[in-house]
Amino acid sequence: MATGILNIKGRIWWIVALVVLCLVPFVLPRFYVYLLSIILLFGLFAMSNNFPLGFGGIYQLHHAVFYGVGAYGTALVITKSGLSPWIAFIVGPLIAAFLGLVMGIICIRLSKLYFGMLQISLGSLVWAVVYRWYSFTGGDDGIHGISVPDIISSYKGAYYFTLIVTGISLYVLYRLLKSPYGSVLQGIRDNPVRSSMIGVNVKKHQLLALVIAGFFAGVAGTLFVVVDNTVFPDMMFWTLSLEAVIMCLLGGWLTFLGPMLGAALIVIIRTFVSTYTLYWALVLGIIFTLVIFFLPNGVLGWIEDAVKRKPNLAEAKE
Amino acid sequence: MRRSVLFVVFMVFVMGLVWSQSGYSANTIKVGIVDTYSGPATTYTQDALDGFKLATEQINAKGGILGKKLEYTTRDEKFKPDIGLAMAKELVLKEKVDILAGTINSGTALAVSDFAKKEKMPFFVFYSKSEKIIGEKGHKYVFNMNENTEMAGRAAAVALSKKPYVKYWIAGDDYEYGHAIADATWNNLKKMKAGVQLLGQSWWKVGEADFTPYITQILAAKPDFIIVATGGSGMVNFQKAAKATGLVQKIPFYQHTANELGTLLPQGKDAPEGVWGTSNYFFYYPETPANKAFVDDFRKAFNRYPKASALVGFMTAQFIAEGYKKAGKIDNEAFIKAIEGMSLDSPVGPLAIRACDHQLELPTYWGVTKKDPKYDFLISGDIQVIAPKDYMPTCQDVLKLRK
Amino acid sequence: MDVTGVLNQVFVGLSRTVILFIVSSGLSLILGVLRIPNVAHGSLYMIGAFMAFTLSKLFGGGDMGFWMALIGAPLAVALISLVAERGIFQYLYEREHLMLILLTFAFSLVFGDLVKIVWGGEYKSVPVPYMFQGFIPLIGGLPFPLYNLFLLVCGPIIAILLWLLVNKTKIGKIARAAAVDMEMVGAVGINVSWVFASVFVIGCLLAGLGGVLVAPTVSVTLGMDHTLIIEAFLIVIMGGLGNIWGALLGALIFGLSQSLGILIWPQFGIIFPYLAVVIVLIFRPTGLLKATW
Repeated sequence: MATGILNIKGRIWWIVALVVLCLVPFVLPRFYVYLLSIILLFGLFAMSNNFPLGFGGIYQLHHAVFYGVGAYGTALVITKSGLSPWIAFIVGPLIAAFLGLVMGIICIRLSKLYFGMLQISLGSLVWAVVYRWYSFTGGDDGIHGISVPDIISSYKGAYYFTLIVTGISLYVLYRLLKSPYGSVLQGIRDNPVRSSMIGVNVKKHQLLALVIAGFFAGVAGTLFVVVDNTVFPDMMFWTLSLEAVIMCLLGGWLTFLGPMLGAALIVIIRTFVSTYTLYWALVLGIIFTLVIFFLPNGVLGWIEDAVKRKPNLAEAKE
Repeated sequence: MRRSVLFVVFMVFVMGLVWSQSGYSANTIKVGIVDTYSGPATTYTQDALDGFKLATEQINAKGGILGKKLEYTTRDEKFKPDIGLAMAKELVLKEKVDILAGTINSGTALAVSDFAKKEKMPFFVFYSKSEKIIGEKGHKYVFNMNENTEMAGRAAAVALSKKPYVKYWIAGDDYEYGHAIADATWNNLKKMKAGVQLLGQSWWKVGEADFTPYITQILAAKPDFIIVATGGSGMVNFQKAAKATGLVQKIPFYQHTANELGTLLPQGKDAPEGVWGTSNYFFYYPETPANKAFVDDFRKAFNRYPKASALVGFMTAQFIAEGYKKAGKIDNEAFIKAIEGMSLDSPVGPLAIRACDHQLELPTYWGVTKKDPKYDFLISGDIQVIAPKDYMPTCQDVLKLRK
Repeated sequence: MDVTGVLNQVFVGLSRTVILFIVSSGLSLILGVLRIPNVAHGSLYMIGAFMAFTLSKLFGGGDMGFWMALIGAPLAVALISLVAERGIFQYLYEREHLMLILLTFAFSLVFGDLVKIVWGGEYKSVPVPYMFQGFIPLIGGLPFPLYNLFLLVCGPIIAILLWLLVNKTKIGKIARAAAVDMEMVGAVGINVSWVFASVFVIGCLLAGLGGVLVAPTVSVTLGMDHTLIIEAFLIVIMGGLGNIWGALLGALIFGLSQSLGILIWPQFGIIFPYLAVVIVLIFRPTGLLKATW
């Protein structure tokens, strides 16, 4: 399968990585802890995008809407309702999942580029409403200084919370991909006609993928609120969606962890190139171009191909 | 093989970026500036930065601050609050700057301000106009170095209340800034002058290119005066449309910063005459030696006239320098204590940072656009000075917003 | 709202339609024939506007400057696109659409920063040519700028020229055939690669032309590509991929729903064009007119 990096041998690496990630805050300065939290949550965002994109073959081109709606849901519940933030953390992703369902129902009849474009129009609608509804969403200024429970308000606290939630989310996504449902979804991606001929309800499976993706994007948005205590309409602008897709492709969209790697690379490049030059978008653009040219399967995809040689390559492309 | 070489180079590049250390020497005071240096906002941010740069050079030439040199580093947040906030965090946590400054974007300003409060880090806002910065979300560590929407609106209301107009129309860019400016102007005007009426309002999306429909609507309603609440590139766009449709000859209107260089310079001689505006700085007014010296220095260094934001950057660096000198040590709490209520000479006369809310007390200049043979762009004529005491909200009013 | 108000909004919507049509017809051409969803199309529009600024200034800013800009800027944009096509895109025609979207997005990032390097970050203003300054009274005596009238004349001319190009010229016929079956055209001995290059350059030239025409009515800024490109994509999809008349119809719907939407619900006026796209795609999933795909 395309998730080759997660075989039994890989499980040891998993545990090592987890231990390292748990110890990181005791070794690294605060800024790197913060940066890691951002990488993890962007990674989750990109991976949730890749769930329908890489494994479902659906052109999920406006994923940021679900990320932004999840973040706004959480932020609004915290600031407006007076309910416990812990409840808000669940409500946000649920709203995002619900939006995923509604938009999915409307878009699912179309395929490929048409699906993506309809999703972009619908997403732009949502963006416009958030951008304009000053009295409720704070308009273009956004909402700032959102208070989160004390235990997760420090850099370390926010990091561990992000790590735990991201970890659980990745595990769930992984199980889903390995489940019979995941196999059917990938089957649909590889051959939709055959899948429907053997009696698979293609649309229903794809719709579920969109809801799941929406939910986990909402989780990532909620994590952003925890880490940065702020939301604003740019979080659901289409450019962020394209960035998410780039994270998937950069890391490797046919691999499970590729989008996480892609997110890490983009966040790192953006953070550190910008300390040298105001033209960091130029550097980012050139790197994307080179990767698309030379590593069409992404960085992780290329590593997997190199490590596993031909058989895996054939499998991944199947 | 070519791919693996590329990949290795790429990873080395990435790792090199991560582990690189900042090039600062220990004996400096570092200011981290986060602002938008791409897009239309650059018109203002570049001048703020260059003003800051000019003052920094002058301060260092005179021996620096407490034997230390003043330095600064910039980050381009591209008008995105999340990136701006991440950059502010990077500046404080990794670059270890002593002070934060910048942001034309109110969203970024508010997000960074919240972070500065948590880190107990002084933060000087250059050119964001949100009233929330020192109002509702104000705190001990944030300083506002330019006027905000409430101040601009009040200043305009002071000037308009002396005019004979009764029937008003409000129009503007439909975003936070536009509404805030319009509300501030109108609410204060209502208080200052009884009997004014609002005939109607029109709002267009930010970046609107075509104002004709709105202008037609306004012409049909025949108001005496229009309050136009545009910002950024909307300023120029509206003035162009007002000229093209002949609006400017038919109904007088007001825009905050309409008579400011940032709005008039890009239009050259094509800008409409007769537009009312308010600004906090002109390079040609007041004609004092202090202003002339500042303009000369600025032109020598950057080969252009300074805009209003240049004054902001120029004064911010000076307040930082004098604040530390007065505190006598590099300590944030002592610095804030020192700078509260401090008054410094500036190109426009003495300027003070109000102790209660950390707002810089700026004079506002009301005036109307006109051609001038000396320049190949329009300038402000009929300048009327509105002193800070005549238009700034009281400490009580501001602190009430903080609850 | 009275009749004159509505009528006036319609005229304004039409002026906007012209710009949207010119830019999206170029996008549609490239999508239909080359199958490249060119996100960098918006950047070329922006470059066109900046070029117009430079050229108009170079030739004294008056009428002469405007006409020189109108000719020179699209050509300059075409030249840039020719280099990009020969240098990069020609190797990528077989790639997945997603890859092409991202590659062109990467290009738009690069172009954005290059424009900043060349022209600086400040916004620029292109004067309305003297001959088009002023306005004519519409029904009810309301003023309509002459420049907008000029735009309304330009739109149909370009539409007809494009139609002639695609349907009556040899290169148009080859391009249409190549869009349907590339191998077949190659097999009969036609150099498909150069046909594709020509189509790409013509499409990009239209983006540049749109940029020049819009320049006098707005302030030319970095970021003007972002809003436009997404609108252009939606118009192309709504009208039918690769269909010139579809692009015109889509631009009409988009332009008019935007200007009339403001009358209906000012605060949320900007949602109407998106709403229109959603409704069209729900009922006509592959666009209003026949797509070439």
